[in-house]
Amino acid sequence: MSTATARTAGFSTRLRSTAVAARVGLVLGVCFAICFVTGLVSHYAQDVAQPLGFPTSPAWGYRVTQGLHVITGTACVPLLLVKLWTVYPQLFRRPPRGLRRLAVEVAERLSIAVLVASAIFQLASGLANVTGWYPWAFSFRPTHYALAWVAIGSLVVHVAVKLPLIRSALGADVDEGLEQEGPPGALSRRGLLGATWAAAAVAVVATAGNTVPWLRKVSVLATHTGDGPQGLPITRSAKAAGIEPEAVGAAYVLEVVRGERTVTLSREDLLAMEQQTRTLPIACVEGWSGTADWTGVRLRDLIDLVEAPLGSDVQVTSLQQRGAFSRSVLQGGFVDDERTTLALAINGETLNLDHGYPARIIAPNRPGVLQTKWVTRLEVQA
Amino acid sequence: MRTGLAPRIALGAVGVLVAAYGAWLLLSRQDAEQLRSAAVWLVAGVVLHDVVLAPVVVVLGLLVSRVVPPVARAPIAAGAIVLGSVTLLAVPVLGRFGERSDNPSLLDRDYTAGWLVLAAVVLVAVVVATLARARRRRQPPS
Repeated sequence: MSTATARTAGFSTRLRSTAVAARVGLVLGVCFAICFVTGLVSHYAQDVAQPLGFPTSPAWGYRVTQGLHVITGTACVPLLLVKLWTVYPQLFRRPPRGLRRLAVEVAERLSIAVLVASAIFQLASGLANVTGWYPWAFSFRPTHYALAWVAIGSLVVHVAVKLPLIRSALGADVDEGLEQEGPPGALSRRGLLGATWAAAAVAVVATAGNTVPWLRKVSVLATHTGDGPQGLPITRSAKAAGIEPEAVGAAYVLEVVRGERTVTLSREDLLAMEQQTRTLPIACVEGWSGTADWTGVRLRDLIDLVEAPLGSDVQVTSLQQRGAFSRSVLQGGFVDDERTTLALAINGETLNLDHGYPARIIAPNRPGVLQTKWVTRLEVQA
Repeated sequence: MRTGLAPRIALGAVGVLVAAYGAWLLLSRQDAEQLRSAAVWLVAGVVLHDVVLAPVVVVLGLLVSRVVPPVARAPIAAGAIVLGSVTLLAVPVLGRFGERSDNPSLLDRDYTAGWLVLAAVVLVAVVVATLARARRRRQPPS
């Protein structure tokens, strides 16, 4: 930052300095990179048309990447606020003379505007989304995904523009270039940085209990306590999904279909099959996760009833009337994995209706939205 | 060590391409009404920061430097950074805007009480830091 221009705008450059901006910016950039990569992982995991199947191991993989996504994004809020505070005087910088310089200045300011707008958008929309609050008309997932590319792209442009400044600032002492004494007793640059790291740490500890069980007691601002029906939270209730009581009553059947062949099973038939109990995490895209003991029929055993070859994809259909995830595709890797279960019970009790009674899918390393509930049809894809 | 202009231009070009891909994704997957809503949010975020939040923080900073005794200034500023930013990110849970009667497992904490506990912890830290600074000042440097 140019010291002279900042001072003409009436701001002190003691704290609003390149030394502070570069240090906070470095951590913020790393956090944005983590959010971007974990976001891509989540987007890929939810995409049913992936060229390469999403891996089924480790079972806790998606839990970690999505937990990290939300935790890092939350930590970015204090970091971004302090970063914007340090560079705020730049907004009032006087435009340079000369057409060429002016054009460069306009281009740089535009790239900053895109970066700031997309960065604030990503954090604000993500924070609202994890609390189930959608005060907008756009579709969250495609918009958050598209603007992630915009934010990362404009961040790369920003780094390219500022690289010499960043290098010299990070290579020097944090108090380098300090020209003026602060007012008595005021925060030092080190103090400001310390407070910023503390704010990010408090933000993490106050919210991460959503996915880190031992933080549950201290995460006073987390969206979930981790409790819920049968000891596990839900994201979409039976009521919200439009599940009719008749559909899950005596009339309920599961159809297993491959081409012309259909095997129809009642819930009693399913209970009469060999049962397995698996301890698997469920990790929601909204960032909460938990572990449960799931008991039910191994999915592969069901698909074997219609003699599906190894590696077949299976389309899972729910009784769910509303929502984008009334259908999901289990790719071959998940279908053939021993652990993938059509669960009938959770933690030793019959599944609660909100957990997907009469039967739900639970597979390792999979986003919660794809762990389809109220399953009524399994169709082997040709 | 200096990085030449060419690698920086190449890096910038990569950034422009990545951002342009994002813009294309944004514009090609949704209808006009959805895009208008996204545009409103994009602009509102910047305006709320630059026109409302940042000036308020400037005024608060001036207030601290005029009203607060020097010994307490740094602790109060640090406490305000922690509590202010965490409060801002807690707005969705404090307002409980996403609450649903059919899903009691979502937003199932008393967030007001949680925030008060957090504010109390920050306040205690500010007071302790201020007292420690005051004590250090009274002792002449050895």
